[in-house]
Amino acid sequence: MSSQSIIIYVVLSLNSFNLKADILNVEHRLKELSTSTNSESNLEFLYPKECFEILESFSYSASNLTMCSIVNARPVRLCEKCIDKYLDFRNKYEELHKTSINGTTCSSVLISHDRLEVVLQYHNGIIEIWNKGNCNSCFDWNGNVPTLSNDTKHFNTLFNETMKCLINNFDPQNNATVCEKCMQYYLELDTFYSSLSTDAIGLDSICMDVVDSMNSTRSIWSKTLNCCKLRISPEVVFLCSAGLISFLPLIFYLSVRYCGPIRDLPKVLRESRFKQTILRSVNSRED
Amino acid sequence: MSNNIKSNRLEDTISESDTAQLLSNEEASTSNYTQLNRSVYFQQSDEDELTGSHGIRRRQPVQKFKPGSMNILSAKYESLDYDTCENHLLLDEERKRGYAFIIWKDIARWFVILQIGVVTALIAFIIDICIEEFSGIKYKQLKKSVDIFVLEDKLYIPYLLWVLSNICIVFFGSVLVAYIEPVAAGSGIPQVKCYLNGVKVPRVVRIKTLVVKAVGVITAVVGGLAGGKEGPMIHSGSVVAAGISQGKSTTFNKDFNIFHYFREDHEKRDFVSAGAAAGVSAAFGAPIGGVLFSLEEGTSFWNQALTWRTFFGTVVSTFTLNFALSAYHGHPGELSYPGLLNLGKMEPFPFQFYELPVFMLFGAVGGLLGALWNYINYKLAVFRIRYVSAPWLRVVEACLVAATTATCGFLMMFLLNDCRPLGEDPTKNPLQLFCADGEYNALAAIWFQTPEASVRSFLHDPIGSYKPGSLLLFIVCYFLLSTWTFGLAVSSGLFIPNLLTGAAWGRLLAVFIQYMLPNNTINPGKYALVGAAAQLGGVVRMTISLTVIIIETTGQISNALPIIITVVVAKWTGDFFNEGIYDIHIQLAGVPLLAWEPPPLTHTVYASEVMSHPVFTLRTVENVGHMLELLRLVSYNGFPVVDPPLSDEVEVTTYKRLRGLILRSQLIVLLQNKIYNENANTTWSNLNVDMQMFRNEYPRFPSIDELVIEEWEKSCTIDLRPFMNPSPYTLPHRASLPRLFRLFRALGLRHLPIVNDVNEVVGMVTRKDIARYRVWRHRGHMGMEELLLSSEI
Repeated sequence: MSSQSIIIYVVLSLNSFNLKADILNVEHRLKELSTSTNSESNLEFLYPKECFEILESFSYSASNLTMCSIVNARPVRLCEKCIDKYLDFRNKYEELHKTSINGTTCSSVLISHDRLEVVLQYHNGIIEIWNKGNCNSCFDWNGNVPTLSNDTKHFNTLFNETMKCLINNFDPQNNATVCEKCMQYYLELDTFYSSLSTDAIGLDSICMDVVDSMNSTRSIWSKTLNCCKLRISPEVVFLCSAGLISFLPLIFYLSVRYCGPIRDLPKVLRESRFKQTILRSVNSRED
Repeated sequence: MSNNIKSNRLEDTISESDTAQLLSNEEASTSNYTQLNRSVYFQQSDEDELTGSHGIRRRQPVQKFKPGSMNILSAKYESLDYDTCENHLLLDEERKRGYAFIIWKDIARWFVILQIGVVTALIAFIIDICIEEFSGIKYKQLKKSVDIFVLEDKLYIPYLLWVLSNICIVFFGSVLVAYIEPVAAGSGIPQVKCYLNGVKVPRVVRIKTLVVKAVGVITAVVGGLAGGKEGPMIHSGSVVAAGISQGKSTTFNKDFNIFHYFREDHEKRDFVSAGAAAGVSAAFGAPIGGVLFSLEEGTSFWNQALTWRTFFGTVVSTFTLNFALSAYHGHPGELSYPGLLNLGKMEPFPFQFYELPVFMLFGAVGGLLGALWNYINYKLAVFRIRYVSAPWLRVVEACLVAATTATCGFLMMFLLNDCRPLGEDPTKNPLQLFCADGEYNALAAIWFQTPEASVRSFLHDPIGSYKPGSLLLFIVCYFLLSTWTFGLAVSSGLFIPNLLTGAAWGRLLAVFIQYMLPNNTINPGKYALVGAAAQLGGVVRMTISLTVIIIETTGQISNALPIIITVVVAKWTGDFFNEGIYDIHIQLAGVPLLAWEPPPLTHTVYASEVMSHPVFTLRTVENVGHMLELLRLVSYNGFPVVDPPLSDEVEVTTYKRLRGLILRSQLIVLLQNKIYNENANTTWSNLNVDMQMFRNEYPRFPSIDELVIEEWEKSCTIDLRPFMNPSPYTLPHRASLPRLFRLFRALGLRHLPIVNDVNEVVGMVTRKDIARYRVWRHRGHMGMEELLLSSEI
């Protein structure tokens, strides 16, 4: 079997969308293809050229977004920094879906054709990161262009103030001054953060930028600066009352054991058995 | 030693003489009248009390015993009448109704099972939701209070709040249990087990019990006690089944005039076994586990049709519960929504061949801990029977346990500063306490939720979630608390507390294994699950149903092998030391429960030794006065009906030929309706004398003292022949104990007349006569002991 016939066989068996294409054109292109199978542009006759253009720009947007996400991974700022790239990426993907050339949509050409599913897999992977971080909730989506929401802006202001305070007052010898001076800012930030979500942990709805900022602030505050020491206190009253209450059952059991009323012990029921009757009759005979 | 010799000697005397005695009829019994007169002194010989009747060791040969003894049977428990009484009335009814009625009855049975499944599931749903919501409110408020007062150095305020809330809630529940319905205490599984075995436990399937049980379990779990809701749900299912199948409520004095044909012990018990299964199914979301539970723990009489109906009931129950819960959780119609699985969906865990010994080790640990748990609980139960029996004392005890539970929890949170970063594990009420900001106290997370949610945490949290030290302290605390809690005057079960303890030590061992083998990744959930199964298996000693329940409730069939290996090893290890917790409590209550198999090596124990000897008989046409005297004098429930003696000579001692068997309840109904021969043409000529008459009084027949019998009636007579069971099962006096036992166990008998060679009644065997031969096993030894009876426990 010649290479040409193999290609014809493959083309015919795999694809149905080129039925409308000019048969002569196909033959012409097949000849081209048979001469240089390595060249990728040769397949253009199967797939509309415009789709490839979109695919290419989609791939650029994907790599941009990926790069941006990785660069802003620590501290997490990817929602804020990569929103443009995200929008670009999303739009390109939509375009890929919607564009239709000669009644053939690009998505039907590029998606759901092999088990590798390159385009779809990469798209889903990138979007998953974005969604996992609840990034959309950082933004206000009412306008044409998403802007940082008021809550996020407010949080950022508070965060920056707190950080500024911490940096300005940081004194490696004496932590107490920092704690005292910045307590006001920190508490305000903390309270505002708690008010943002319903479960007070913030995993459900707050965008990752905010969560991460808060986590690092808390970590600096309570671990590096050790400002949470005040929480631990001796709690003498608590320990005494706990000791007292745990003694109560012991007293209870001892008192019911030794002070309870002495009751008559239950009796065993006499059973009426055949043997007893015999014994009785034997006894009476002996008597 | 001398006792043994003596008993052997006695034995010889008996075996030489008994056959001769039975045949010669001399001196053994007299006619009824003399019997009654002599009954005052008919058992005066003391000497034989010192030994068992045939060399079997008898632990307490005294006339008084300390309460809380395991080898005393209570004489108060009666059997159910599982055997159908084929009297003339029944034959009449059958003739009238024909096959159409049979079909109708079958359809009605399925309909009743459907209702049982639905109602059980709805009750389980209500209990579930109440516990979830009330606990949510309680712990949220406590968390708020802790958050405020921890900064002010006043932690004793939230602590006392917790103690107080626990006490108040538990007080309410335990007052209900202690004063209104004591039978609703505990898990209810022992009681249901007895009922299914054929023992009538008083008040166990009444609607009052159901209400107290449901409210009691909510208060117990919300009150923070180390108890679960599973056992009470099983009991609730049984009550629902007994109630719905009867079509009437005696408590409310309401008769719906349906399902008359189910008003007998036979049908009722079949429904109760289906109800118990539906309860398991609703408690764990385990339909097959429910059926197997009914089979393993309860029902003695099992047939294919009943299994199939029971399975239908459990599936309906699970379906209804899932439907209701999915709607409640905001996923209406999503019946396989994974949040409905009680212990959460487990991933299938891979296990290697070499891990099987590890699972066996887990089983052995579970068996040892379970045996210890049972031992402590047994000692506590005995103490409670002896000293804490007054209702108010029981209420005080329950409140003290509630307070101590809160104290334990709070002290652990306070003393162990086990902090975890927020958000890595799902926690509902993260409590910061002394942790840094952005962290929560891992122990507070376990204590500030229901035990069931804690089991889920142990099964699903990642390996680093709990420090080994805090786990160890938690295990010790919770182990002791749960064994202390079971047996209080609150209705709570032991499944969840034991699963929790087991999951905790399973996880601890997983951490230990990880430490030993740092290169392997250990899945802590796997070992937590195996540990939970081992602990529970060591306590309750169930195998099949427990395995299936755990498989179903974690939604993973491939975990069956590790779990069954663990559970079986746990059972064997535990059985080496003592019995399952339910059996211990049943024995303490003195319930005459029949085991699966007759005691071994007892083919030489004959019916003539087992039976009660002077039998109180009635003649086929009996005098009302005599009948009254007899019913008032003795507490027996079944009387052989015999031919009248040939001559009227009073002093001639003869056994009489058996004609049938009549029950006390039947006699009472006859007396109540005055079915006398003398007024056959006047009073009851237009009265419908049929089965309906007996069913109307079922299940609470009046006592003999409640009947008003005029003096003139005492000379009347009743013909018992149309009402008695004309063909009762009988055995000759030479039948062996295993034979008697098998007949009782397989047919669910209540009375078994023992006859001699010419079909004359010489004795009567009841459940208690057989149940007093009990096999014991301890540390590899076994033997049989003969129990004593007492009517005062």
